[in-house]
Amino acid sequence: MNVITRGVKNSLRSPMRSGAIILMLAISIGLILSMLVARSSVESKINDVKATTGTSITINPAGVQGFAGGGNPLTSAQVATISSTTHIVSATTTLSDQMGASDTNLTPSLTLGSFGARQQRFESSSSTETAPNNSATVSRPAPTPRIAVTGTTNPNSYATNGGSLTITNGATINGSSSDLVALVGSSLATKNNLTTGSTFTAYGKTITVSGIYSTGNTFQDSGVIMPLATVQTLTGQAGDASSVIAKVDSSENVDATVSNLKTELGSDKVDITSEAQQAASSVSSLTAISGLALAGVIGATIAGAVIVLLAMVMIVRERRREIGVIKAIGGTTRKVVGQFVTEALTLTIIGAIIGLSFGVVASGPMTNSLVSSQAASNSAGAQLGGAGPVFRRGLNQLNTNLTKVQSSLTPQVFVASIGITLLIAIIGSAVPAWFISRIRPAEVLRTE
Amino acid sequence: MLSVKNLTKSFQSPSGTVKALAGINMDVETGQFVSIIGKSGSGKSTLLSMLGALDIPTSGNIEVDDQDIAKLSSGKQTAYRAHKIGFVFQQYNLIPNLSALENVMLALEFGGVKSSERKSRARQLLADVGIDESQQARKPSRLSGGQQQRVSIARALANNPAIILADEPTGNLDSETGQKIFDLLHNLSRSKNTTIIAVTHDLDIAGKTDRTFRLKDGKLTTI
Ligand SMILES: Nc1ncnc2c1ncn2[C@@H]1O[C@H](COP(=O)(O)OP(=O)(O)O)[C@@H](O)[C@H]1O
Ligand SMILES: [Mg+2]
Repeated sequence: MNVITRGVKNSLRSPMRSGAIILMLAISIGLILSMLVARSSVESKINDVKATTGTSITINPAGVQGFAGGGNPLTSAQVATISSTTHIVSATTTLSDQMGASDTNLTPSLTLGSFGARQQRFESSSSTETAPNNSATVSRPAPTPRIAVTGTTNPNSYATNGGSLTITNGATINGSSSDLVALVGSSLATKNNLTTGSTFTAYGKTITVSGIYSTGNTFQDSGVIMPLATVQTLTGQAGDASSVIAKVDSSENVDATVSNLKTELGSDKVDITSEAQQAASSVSSLTAISGLALAGVIGATIAGAVIVLLAMVMIVRERRREIGVIKAIGGTTRKVVGQFVTEALTLTIIGAIIGLSFGVVASGPMTNSLVSSQAASNSAGAQLGGAGPVFRRGLNQLNTNLTKVQSSLTPQVFVASIGITLLIAIIGSAVPAWFISRIRPAEVLRTE
Repeated sequence: MLSVKNLTKSFQSPSGTVKALAGINMDVETGQFVSIIGKSGSGKSTLLSMLGALDIPTSGNIEVDDQDIAKLSSGKQTAYRAHKIGFVFQQYNLIPNLSALENVMLALEFGGVKSSERKSRARQLLADVGIDESQQARKPSRLSGGQQQRVSIARALANNPAIILADEPTGNLDSETGQKIFDLLHNLSRSKNTTIIAVTHDLDIAGKTDRTFRLKDGKLTTI
């Protein structure tokens, strides 16, 4: 028998009460662990997001967006400048064109519709502008739908989900080659009975189909993707580009890089679109979760400490006479305090073992539910898109970020929760210890 | 040798200062069995708590073997209680979740006895006061009042104290059991030459001690 064994023995003196205290402690310690896990996985995701989301910058020639607007394409010198700008880790260069009936033997898979017809109403050089209601005086050739051709250094940039382009048949193409090969969108392929190995004519050359891709996007699946250099040669625009998508090393550097590019390329020469805003909002919702988790850790720690404190104060008051007797027969205050601290520690450790096991099991689902509820409220606000594929891709990426937070239980998190547990026991014992030191041994001689 | 000179103790209470002890003088030879009688509230427990260094006197001296108890630091007071004093209480005051044996071993621990020797010494002490081995393993709640008081006497004797202070040790016992407990204390004072100061209501018992004092209005008189 010594201080430690007496403390351990005392902790189980009243099984019902000890059970209740242990249960409450287990719940708060389990919460602490889950919250720490949530926090650490969200923190690591924040760094991830900063490195991957909102890090792309789209550079278009000034005045050009897609096939609309007007101006000159980007030159090879401008493209080289973009690639060599600091913080830019990679760049995908694209040259877009459209093929009409005279350019190719392919039949477009898109129907023109009233939208397409309206877009093409200015196209004939012989047309004369007349009031729309006076249709008799208008003379235009019948508009025809066209086929979009994309020359790119990276066919995967055409994917709508931020990942790799889905090839349903055959193999992808090498964007840096200048071969006469193409990936054909699934709608267009069906329309023209194309499969891997088929050929078609474009710009007077015979092109071999390397593979068929599918994005689920009707516009994109009606197009053709070829290596950048191939399109440049076929269309006689050597070195030119209609758009460059550059990746920056971290979303934190996007703003600086954008203004860098503007000064180097001239803000009147290029239009730059970045996803920095997207990244900021993605990170800010994650930061909010992280803050919430930290508040949870602090709250549960305080709750745990208060539970131990109240329990120990109650126990000390109840054993007031016993403490007086121990002092009267020669026990030092230090020994009595040691005994009660051991008792508090025993309760806390048993609570911690139960709580930590519960926390290990619960932390995964808890992190996921915290994060997915946040993601749901995010996507609700994101529906008003329509701002083009760049932003749609950004939003897709953002939702993937949030739902894919991995709940990671690292050793550091485990050690931190054990540390907090001990802190709880110490805080919870300090006040009772003070009470113990104030108990006067002379009280035991008093008979009420 | 115990020597008390001009000992006073006052308490501050809401209704003013209570003078529990108003100048006590007494000398007790080593090995004497002394009884103190007096009405309830006359200051008997207060006097014992001063002698046992449970509290500090307002003024005066208490000398035990030429050491002044009234002027000890609180650490020295604790050591004095552990080594020189044995307490026997009216309510026995055993630790409820420890067995009889463990209660005695607790006092031995505070007296600085090596842990390997505690168990055998505690068994001997309990056997000496008439607690057999099966009773030694029991918790206090499973012992009779008389048995509990025997255990508490064994605990008081654990560290061979110079003085045993007993506050109404037979107060909760029937007269027959009380008589046996008193005889036990009496024999111990003889065999171990331990000074015993016992507060009692029982004049029969008081009459059989070496000396009897009466406490009245905070003053001590010899009978
Ligand atoms: N801690 C205390 N505070 C205030 N008054 C006390 C205290 N202890 C004892 N007294 C008072 O001192 C007097 C003597 O008490 P006590 O020594 O317990 O008497 P006895 O043991 O003879 O019955 C009583 O009037 C009691 O109320
Ligand atoms: Mg009394």
